[in-house]
Amino acid sequence: MSSAVLVLDRVTKRFAGHTAVDGLSLSVPRGVIYGLLGPNGAGKTTTIRMIMDIIEPDEGSVRLFGEPGTGREHSARVGYLPEERGLYRKMRVLDLIVFLAEMKGVERRRAGAQAAAWLERLGLGAWRWRRVDELSKGMQQKVQFISTILHQPELVVLDEPFAGLDPVNTQVMKDAVLELRRDGVTILFSTHIMEQAEKLCDQLCIIARGRKLVDGAVADIKRTQTGHHLVIGFDGAPGAAAQLFADKRVVRKLDDYGQYAELELAPDADPQRLLAALVSSGARLARFELSEPSLHKIFIDLVGPEAATPEARPHPGGPRA
Amino acid sequence: MRKIWAVIRREFVERIRSKWFWFSALLGPVFFGAMIVVPVLFAGAGGTRRIAVVDATTGAFGERVAAGLRHGKIFRATRVPAGAGVVDSLTQLVGAKQLDGFLILTDAVVETGTAEYRASNVSSFRDVAELQDVLARLAMAARLERQGVDPALVGRAQLRISLETKKISGSTTTGESAAQSFALAYVMGVVLFLVITIYGVNVMGSVVEEKTTRIVEVLVSSLRPFQLMMGKVLGVGAVSLFQFVLWGLGAKLLLSQRRALLADLGGVEEARQVFQMPHLTAATLGVFLSYFLGGFFLYSAMYAAVGAMSSNEQEARQAQQPVMFLLLVAYVSMFGLTNNPESTYAVTLSLIPFTAPIAMPVRWAASTVPAGELGASLGLLAAGIVAVTWMAARIYRVGILMTGKRPNIKELVRWIRAG
Ligand SMILES: Nc1ncnc2c1ncn2[C@@H]1O[C@H](COP(=O)(O)OP(=O)(O)OP(=O)(O)O)[C@@H](O)[C@H]1O
Ligand SMILES: [Mg+2]
Repeated sequence: MSSAVLVLDRVTKRFAGHTAVDGLSLSVPRGVIYGLLGPNGAGKTTTIRMIMDIIEPDEGSVRLFGEPGTGREHSARVGYLPEERGLYRKMRVLDLIVFLAEMKGVERRRAGAQAAAWLERLGLGAWRWRRVDELSKGMQQKVQFISTILHQPELVVLDEPFAGLDPVNTQVMKDAVLELRRDGVTILFSTHIMEQAEKLCDQLCIIARGRKLVDGAVADIKRTQTGHHLVIGFDGAPGAAAQLFADKRVVRKLDDYGQYAELELAPDADPQRLLAALVSSGARLARFELSEPSLHKIFIDLVGPEAATPEARPHPGGPRA
Repeated sequence: MRKIWAVIRREFVERIRSKWFWFSALLGPVFFGAMIVVPVLFAGAGGTRRIAVVDATTGAFGERVAAGLRHGKIFRATRVPAGAGVVDSLTQLVGAKQLDGFLILTDAVVETGTAEYRASNVSSFRDVAELQDVLARLAMAARLERQGVDPALVGRAQLRISLETKKISGSTTTGESAAQSFALAYVMGVVLFLVITIYGVNVMGSVVEEKTTRIVEVLVSSLRPFQLMMGKVLGVGAVSLFQFVLWGLGAKLLLSQRRALLADLGGVEEARQVFQMPHLTAATLGVFLSYFLGGFFLYSAMYAAVGAMSSNEQEARQAQQPVMFLLLVAYVSMFGLTNNPESTYAVTLSLIPFTAPIAMPVRWAASTVPAGELGASLGLLAAGIVAVTWMAARIYRVGILMTGKRPNIKELVRWIRAG
């Protein structure tokens, strides 16, 4: 427990008769990239806001760095990039970064020097005396990223950090995240783009409708969540494939295209036996591939089509904070 | 604490840097200078009048009148002996604007007290008052002399009354005239209304900006909403005080130069006297500043709450109307307050925290306010500030994180209770 940077214990948040986060528990170890995955409206942002002490949970607790104290009290050690970006438009870039660093408790002079260094490093050195609204959107994103990490936080919380970025800036952001981890910083980020999560995350937690579906190391999740995943290509004759695939004790899920099929075996089924059965039934195979399921597939399987969209809420309107 | 300080500094520095701040800092004194100078200009309009005194009297009376008028500062009078066609030719001169008018004197002036003044402008009270004064004085002297009274004695007996008004403030007499008290009360009321509104709206704009840019999330994750709101209010408040200092300096400069300025504008001696610097005692200044700060805190807390419950500037402008209305109540009552500062209405307004910030300073300047009333008003204002800030902070706390529809009254009450 002592190595966990962040622990949520049965955290619940309700808004006007609608539960946005429901008894969510998770634990983020030090030094990992942790993904918070979920469809739209799953409660990711709400969870992050509770971590940041912007809103208070109705039930349960949030514990940071294994120490007592609220997120606000620990704010000097946490960096936060909110989902909806925004800066003071009329402020000068350098002043703005210094101000936000001061909010995190960095001493003014030091903040100025570091802000200048960061701006230089991200190619914005010449812009430091310009007003924020003179910057392009990509530049503003960089400025915001600088102010998220300028105070050298131990934990960085990014809500949808890749949303709205072009491929170049997506790459820049990915590199930045990886570099932070190299420096021993723990990163928690939310996303609903599975490919990114799959490439970046060491650990993750998938939530839908405010509830946790699964969490843990990515490899473990893949191993435990599904049986073997098979891709089979036929070279003309499928033999008795149709009958074999119909056996529910062997094949749990099937996506059959005739000459090509993707299937998921039952947890205790042996792929080698299926191969032997296919060949002896006269099937000619072009391809027989055991593959790892993609995170995307796990996500869809777990979340299900009905959970992919949030429940319509009976009473829209103000929160009961 | 250091974080609040940073918020205060940001609000202060960013505002001081804006062109608008310096624009209004410069324009303020000019604006109020104009409010003072324009009436003076009207009062002194025309300056001296060139008139003729058509003398149809049998004695030296006509000559004396011309001399008496010349002695004053308004008329440049020349005596013209009456004769055939004189009135016609003078009328033509007036028409050609060579002359402003003429006074026709006959022996009837001394006998029955009637004379005739024809001029292009006969609506100037100042001109008419001066003519009547000179004629009455000289006619009386002539009548007394005819009864054998020594002219020297007449001269000594005649006394010109000039009525000076002085306001009693507390039990000490100030050197303040009625016009000056009124002007002071009026100017204070206008300034308080403008500045409380302008800077209150500033606070609101700042809240809305943080809300629409969502930067408030980052801020609120590092300091409490209440701290953020206080930092904002204090920062904008500091700007307004700085504005006052600049205005004060500007006004001082203008006033020290007013003789020269008015001379340039062609003002005459009377015009200069119409407006003297009102008597601004330390106590008055103290009352003014206390109520300004009190009013500012009260209203900017409300404006902050309004900003927090709106999701854009346009919505905020609409939502602020009730707040503006509260302040307007005192503002539109200003004439009543100055004319009748002791009425129940005036006293009530100066006790209610929402109207007191304008009503009390206006009453203070216009009359003498008992210390007890002043104390009660200040106490109620302080209590009002605490209560309003408490409620505003709760609305603010929930509101800044809300998006979408503006809450209705029921929801607001729920926010306040839930905070
Ligand atoms: N302030 C609020 N008042 C009322 N309901 C809210 C509030 N904030 C969030 N919700 C509701 O809570 C649920 C979870 O929202 P949340 O923003 O946490 O989802 P999310 O996982 O971040 O979704 P997305 O991927 O779209 O950003 C949604 O149904 C949302 O409408
Ligand atoms: Mg979200």
